[in-house]
Amino acid sequence: MTRRRVFVTGLGFVSPHGDDPDAVFERICAAESVVRAHRLESLAWAEDPVPMARADFDPGDRIPKIQRIFMSRAGQMAVTAGYDALVRAGLPTDGSGVDDMGVYLGHGLGGSEILEDGYRTHFTRQRRFKPTTVPLIMTNGPTSHVSMRFRMLGPTLTYSNACASSAAAIGEAFRAIRDGYLERAVAGGTEAQLNEGAVAAWIMLGVLAKGSGEDAASACRPFDVDRRGFVLGEGAVMLILESEDAVRERGATPLGEIVGYASASDGHNLTEPHVDGQARAMRLSLADAGLDPECVGYVNAHATGTQVGDMVEVDAIRQVFGAHAGSLLVSATKGLHGHLIGAAAALEGALTLMALKQGRVPPTGNLRSPDPALDLDCVPGQAREVPDLEYALSNSFAFGGTNASLVMRRVDGRP
Amino acid sequence: MTAYDFLSDQLVEKFDVDRDKLTPESSLSDLGLDSLSIVELVFDVEDEFDIEVAEDDANFTTLGEAAVLFDKLIKAKQD
Repeated sequence: MTRRRVFVTGLGFVSPHGDDPDAVFERICAAESVVRAHRLESLAWAEDPVPMARADFDPGDRIPKIQRIFMSRAGQMAVTAGYDALVRAGLPTDGSGVDDMGVYLGHGLGGSEILEDGYRTHFTRQRRFKPTTVPLIMTNGPTSHVSMRFRMLGPTLTYSNACASSAAAIGEAFRAIRDGYLERAVAGGTEAQLNEGAVAAWIMLGVLAKGSGEDAASACRPFDVDRRGFVLGEGAVMLILESEDAVRERGATPLGEIVGYASASDGHNLTEPHVDGQARAMRLSLADAGLDPECVGYVNAHATGTQVGDMVEVDAIRQVFGAHAGSLLVSATKGLHGHLIGAAAALEGALTLMALKQGRVPPTGNLRSPDPALDLDCVPGQAREVPDLEYALSNSFAFGGTNASLVMRRVDGRP
Repeated sequence: MTAYDFLSDQLVEKFDVDRDKLTPESSLSDLGLDSLSIVELVFDVEDEFDIEVAEDDANFTTLGEAAVLFDKLIKAKQD
C-alpha cells in the first residue's frame, strides 16, 4: 500500500488560554498558568475551593442560536473550534465544498452538564427530564454536530478512551488519509466536565491537586518533587488534516506534518499506568514513522503531575530512547492549562506542532524543584529555543490502560 | 397569556425566529423547527401551562393550529 504524506493545514482552539492558537502558544511558552480556584456551591463537604481551568467561551455567530439548543457545552466548543480550524485552513464554513471530509473526534464524558441537570430535575424536584436529554448527552453528539454544521459527509467517528481520546481521533484520521481512504478530515477533541457533579466525582478519586488563592495557579506540577496530582481543564481543539494531493491542489500552506501514530494497551489496571504499554506505544509510533529514536528532539509528555504517572512515563521514555533520552527535551504543559481529558491530546498535539514550526519548546509549567529521580531535561522555567528541531513525539496515556503516541515533523514551506 | 403569545415569545427568544415572520398561518417547519425542536416547544408549553399534550393530538403544522390546540387544553384544565 502506498503511504501518503499527511499535513495539518489549520488549527481551531477553544482553550483556557483563549481561542487564538498563536497567542495561546505564546502564553504557554511564558509559563503563564490560567488555573484558578473555584468554590463549588454543592461541595459543602469539600472545604477548599477547587483549582481548575475554565475556558471563557462564546460561539458568537459561528453557531446559530436554534442549533445551540441541541448542543451540549462540549458540542458547542467542538463546532466553534471546527469553524476556526476551517477558516484558518482557508476552507469554507457555509456548508459547501467540504462534503468529502471526515470528522474524527475524541470526547470523554458526553454532555456532562446536561445529564447533571436532568438528574437534578428528576430526583430532587420530581419533574420530567427534557425530551432532548438523550441526544444532548450522547458522546457522539459533538462529532455529529460538526458534521451537520459544515456538511462533512465522510466518516464521523467518536473515540472515547479517557485521556487518550483525541490522540486516537487524530491518529486514526491520519491513518485513513495516509492509507488512501480519505483526502481530508477534521480531527481533535472536546471536553466540558467542570460541572459540579463531575468535579465532585473526580475529587473522590483522589487524583486532583489542591490549592487555594494564589497557590491554585501552581497546584499541578509535573516532574516536580512536590507534585501532587492534576487539575481539570476544558476546551476543544481541532486540526484540519489533508493528504499531500489535497494540499497541493489547493495551494495550502501546511503548519506541520503527522508522520506516525500507534496505540498500545497495558491490559493491566483501570487507573494504574504501566511502563511496558507506554513504551510500546512510543516504540510502535516511531516504527510507524520509520524513524530511529535518535531523530526525535522533543517529547511532549502526558505527565499529569501525579507521583506514579510521571515516574512511569520517564521510565518508559528511558526504555525507548536509551542513551538518547539524555539529549531529549521533555516538557508537560498540563500545569498551565489543566487536563482537558478528551481534548488533552488535541491541545498538546497542536502545541507540539507549533513548537516544531517555531523551533521553540514550551516549558513544563510550575516545575520549581525538579524531582532528582526523574533526571531528564524537563525544560523548567521558560521556553527553549531549538531552531533545528525536526521531529517531536506527543504522548497520551489514559485510564483504562490505553496509550497513544503521535509523531510529528516540521514542514518548511509547501510540499 | 394565550398559548399564541407564549409560543411566539418562545420562538423569538429561544429559537431565534424573526418576530416579523410570525403569523397564525406560519408553518413551524418553514420557521426552521425540525421534529426535535417541536418536541422541545411542546415540552415548554406543557411546563408553562401545566397541561399534557397527547402524542396523537400533536399533529399541527402551523403556529395557529398549535395555539388552538393548546388553548383548548388550557381551557379544559381550567374548567
